[in-house]
Amino acid sequence: MMAMARTLSRLRQDRSGLAGLSIVALFFLVSIAVWAGWLGQDWSAADGARWEGPGPAHWFGTNVLGQDIFERAVYSVRTAFEIGLVVALLSTVLGAALGAVAGWRGNTWIDGAITWLKGVLDAIPFYLFVAAVAFALRGAPWAMHLAMVATFWTTTARLVRAEVLKIRSLDYVRSARAIGLPGAVILARHVLPNTTHILLVQGTIAFVAAIKTEVVLSFLGLGVQDGVSWGLMLAESTQEVLAGHFGNFIAASGMLFLLLLGLNLLADAMQDALDPKQAAL
Amino acid sequence: MARRFPGLLHRIAAAAALLFTAACSEPANDPGATAATVYRHAMDGAPRSLDPAQASSVYAKMLVVNLYDTLYRYKYLARPYELTPNLADGMPQVSTDGLIYTIRIKPGARFMDDEAFPGGAGRAVTAEDFVYSLKRHFDPATRSRGAWLWQDRIVGMEQWKTDGADYDAPVSGLRAIDERTIQIQLITPFPQLTHTLAQGFAAVVPREAVEHYGAGFAINPVGSGPYRLDGFDSSGATLLRNDSFRHEPFSLEAEGADPAAAGTGSFEHLEGRAPPFIDRIEVQFIAEDAARWNTLIAGEADFIKVPVSQFDSVLASRAPPRLNADMAARFDLAANLESGFVHTDFNMDDPAIGYHPDPDQDARNRGLRCAIVKAFDWERRNDVFYYGIGRVFPGIIPPVAPEFDPSQDRSWTERDLDGARRLLRESGWHADNLPTLEYGFPSSVTERQMFEQFRSFMADIGYPAEKVRPLTFATYGDYARAYLNREVMLVTTGWTMDYPDAENTMQLFFGPNASPGSNSANYDNPEFNRLFRASATLRPSPMRTSMYRNMNRILQEDCATISGISRTLILVWNREFAMLPDRSFVGGFFFRFVDRAGAQGP
Amino acid sequence: MRFTAGKLLHGLLLILGVTFLSFLLMVWFGPDQTYSLIGKNASAEEIASVRHQLGYDQPFFARYFEYLRELVTLDLGTSNASGEAVRSLLARTLPVSLALMIPGFVLGNLLGIALGLAAAQHRGRWPDRLITGFSVSGMSLSFLVIIIGMQALLCTPYGLDLFPVRGWRVDSFASYLQYATVPSLSLILVALGYNTRFYRAVFIEEYGRDHIRTARAFGASTTEILWKHVLRNSLVPVITRFMFSIPLVVISGSLLIESYFGIPGIGLATFEAITSGDQPVLKAVVGLTAVAFVLLQAVTDTLYRLVDPRVT
Repeated sequence: MMAMARTLSRLRQDRSGLAGLSIVALFFLVSIAVWAGWLGQDWSAADGARWEGPGPAHWFGTNVLGQDIFERAVYSVRTAFEIGLVVALLSTVLGAALGAVAGWRGNTWIDGAITWLKGVLDAIPFYLFVAAVAFALRGAPWAMHLAMVATFWTTTARLVRAEVLKIRSLDYVRSARAIGLPGAVILARHVLPNTTHILLVQGTIAFVAAIKTEVVLSFLGLGVQDGVSWGLMLAESTQEVLAGHFGNFIAASGMLFLLLLGLNLLADAMQDALDPKQAAL
Repeated sequence: MARRFPGLLHRIAAAAALLFTAACSEPANDPGATAATVYRHAMDGAPRSLDPAQASSVYAKMLVVNLYDTLYRYKYLARPYELTPNLADGMPQVSTDGLIYTIRIKPGARFMDDEAFPGGAGRAVTAEDFVYSLKRHFDPATRSRGAWLWQDRIVGMEQWKTDGADYDAPVSGLRAIDERTIQIQLITPFPQLTHTLAQGFAAVVPREAVEHYGAGFAINPVGSGPYRLDGFDSSGATLLRNDSFRHEPFSLEAEGADPAAAGTGSFEHLEGRAPPFIDRIEVQFIAEDAARWNTLIAGEADFIKVPVSQFDSVLASRAPPRLNADMAARFDLAANLESGFVHTDFNMDDPAIGYHPDPDQDARNRGLRCAIVKAFDWERRNDVFYYGIGRVFPGIIPPVAPEFDPSQDRSWTERDLDGARRLLRESGWHADNLPTLEYGFPSSVTERQMFEQFRSFMADIGYPAEKVRPLTFATYGDYARAYLNREVMLVTTGWTMDYPDAENTMQLFFGPNASPGSNSANYDNPEFNRLFRASATLRPSPMRTSMYRNMNRILQEDCATISGISRTLILVWNREFAMLPDRSFVGGFFFRFVDRAGAQGP
Repeated sequence: MRFTAGKLLHGLLLILGVTFLSFLLMVWFGPDQTYSLIGKNASAEEIASVRHQLGYDQPFFARYFEYLRELVTLDLGTSNASGEAVRSLLARTLPVSLALMIPGFVLGNLLGIALGLAAAQHRGRWPDRLITGFSVSGMSLSFLVIIIGMQALLCTPYGLDLFPVRGWRVDSFASYLQYATVPSLSLILVALGYNTRFYRAVFIEEYGRDHIRTARAFGASTTEILWKHVLRNSLVPVITRFMFSIPLVVISGSLLIESYFGIPGIGLATFEAITSGDQPVLKAVVGLTAVAFVLLQAVTDTLYRLVDPRVT
């Protein structure tokens, strides 16, 4: 609890961190509003003319079908959070679990197997792997999420494993083992809580990576299948930018950049505030 | 200025040189290339293989008919399209029962020099080469994509295939009577046969090359066409004039020039000269619209198919399409109506939307289909995706077909929201009991936009958005697999006609052609089938045309398809060239006639 | 000796794993090319015959072992789509990709090292804050956004219109610069944020070490500290990052860059193989990347020992 309070106060002093937090919070509110049906509901309605310029009716103009670009960009906030949250959460949980097991059973065959799996996943070029998973699952809507979770957990697992290896040899953990507490209990009660800083930072980084990957996958036609996302809007814009229609590009890349900037600033600030090494300095 | 397009080895060496001695490398000079005429043609897609047996795409056909010879081709300037002899010495002699075709080939045609031949020297093209080339389609090892054109048509061919496809074994219905005479014997009359012999599929290949290169034959073409290949990869192909191409002086009259039509004058200087006229053709494969457009504007290509997104900045008027003044100063334009159409079929095999054993439900399903057809806004589809210059027509006889009826009832392509809602009501459909529509498409930006537009059309008759769902596929192959296995409820496909005869589109809805055949609607109407069978052996005649039109009407009344639109392609080229480009039946045959504007013969 | 044997076994297991996983995903569950190879109006019998020719009707392990055999003997077969030998396809496309990717990759790392060093030397002061801010902004840009933006800015009449929009018609150094500049700049930009941040952290850690403080206290010059201590000791993480990026950058990076700019390199070939389901090409690319990855690991290990005798 002491550590938490110290963390918060550090975070509060970090101006860029606060800026990041505010940006992310703002986007999160927007995504809630979209979810609740207050914003961005007309993303699919084609009620404008083709490629209208920006104006009071359509702030960023319309796309080729006459759909309002701003409406679509706002609705995409929800898509981004859905993908980001699901992937960040699942990949962090998976990474923490496998990393903890590997660290706890350090240098046994289980550790070896997990390390091997990480090595295998890291050796396949990333886009090739996610593309292959998306193909293998025949356009299932969650194929993209699965592909990302399957690759993003490795970094978290490596960090958690190193941390657990360290913690395992600490005195209080040794004594807990000596009095015969089951491994799972020790892991859950004493070891994993000490890796929170890794998990929070890695989770945020995975969030960033997920949103960025969605853009590339949607461009390749392997991303979001039903609905709209910044990636789909950017894919659309590749057909428009050279003809001088910049609405989709500006709206999608602008919002994408802001959210990613917010997340990156937040991740940095958390890293600084939570890192025990920093705290010791 | 000629650009050098390095061959494979050269390219690897060049790349290596760039890496390691970048500072010392100098621009490569190509002595002698300065005097050569070069025409740079940008294509919106790339052929994957140059083997005539694989030449199913418009891109492959474009190159194949230049590298190889076909017996027939379409006249350069005649519209409607007309057949004319190419390698053949005259039109075929057909027996009175329509079963035996005798074709002579011209003397003097030679395969180009290639290492596949003994001593590396090309040899004369013989009737036996044509026989070999056609047999090849029926050899399973060829994996032919064109065999269906002659499937169950030629006496003895299927037996030859069953007996192990031994090229030294004869096929009784396909023989070389002498060096220069081919005889084809048909099982039943097939009036479209001569048309099939103008396909890229029917190009004449030498057995030596096929056997020498094996699978590599696809990228090592050895033919007798007007051009030979100098370089080919996924970004482009370079063709060089084949100096040994048979000498055939150009004739305006033979090419079907209409003396009354404007523009014929620009071809007068070709009269009496022997094609091909251009020394070197650089074909660039540029799928991305904007990029292709920019290569034209930057002067890096002499010809492109203008992307729809640029129509605004190119055209001064839509009907007829005319270039604006800026463009007209540099370019010429041809509005080319495509020889095919795009349509969305209902899977009639799906009881939720198609045929149903219960007659009541069957009738309700028809009501639903007809309501969807009436709700489809062809005008808006045409406006958004084809700039309003596509040709919308009811049914499946597209405007390019000679049997097209310009005066037919167009009500099936006119949007009628009230009628559609009434149909839904009368058939007992409402928002709660409507089936979920699954609209299939291979994932791409434009296909997705078309789906979203379809969903908005359906919204206008009260179809809930969550009941119109996308069914996406990562590749076209996966999409094709799904609809050929009858797993897609709404199948959107394009059909490119193989020849100007509506028989080629009628067969799309002939019952026995159901999936995995080309009838992806799995439509099966006994009356339609009967008319198809009866018309299939007939030569063109007013009676046959009225049978086609009858079938067209039956199909529309069953509401088995939402059809259709033929796109108008805007082809634009550098005014320095005199040519009439074409993407439909003439296709690649026009390359040999491209010339510098006003150029004089030697 | 035992060390080498262990490494060898480790590498073999890794290759087996990668090939198995990629086989499972890209071949067994991968796209089925049958339906893009058949003609109009194919019969069920013809479809079966094409499937047979493609080997799709073989059992799982027969196909997997066939894949391993192909990799071991380097008998990579021919592309199903074009009939071109996979080997000749690789020989044709790989040099293009290398010529395209290497300058951007090397410059991106060198610039990252320079900026990271500058930031580390001025830690906490305005140059550091400026560089950090720049690097975070760079990290927040999507690859696709950078590519579209660079193209619009440098290759269209809406921007500076200096370079061709796309393509690769390279026959001289001048034309190479024309076609490679925009992709290379995009590549540098997409990696620079991450590189700078990574190298900054590495250098800050080195500057904070006790022996450097000691050296400073004994009056060693800034240059001496930089060259003898900081850069030298940073070599291990720098080499690791550099080496391990190579196969991934060449395939993953070129996949997007080449398919966007229409450059006939290995990335475009891979992308086309994915979208057309051309399994011989996919199998070769993934298998060889895995082998390259494992080999690079071995090379990296050797390099470690050269630069840092403490590693055993």
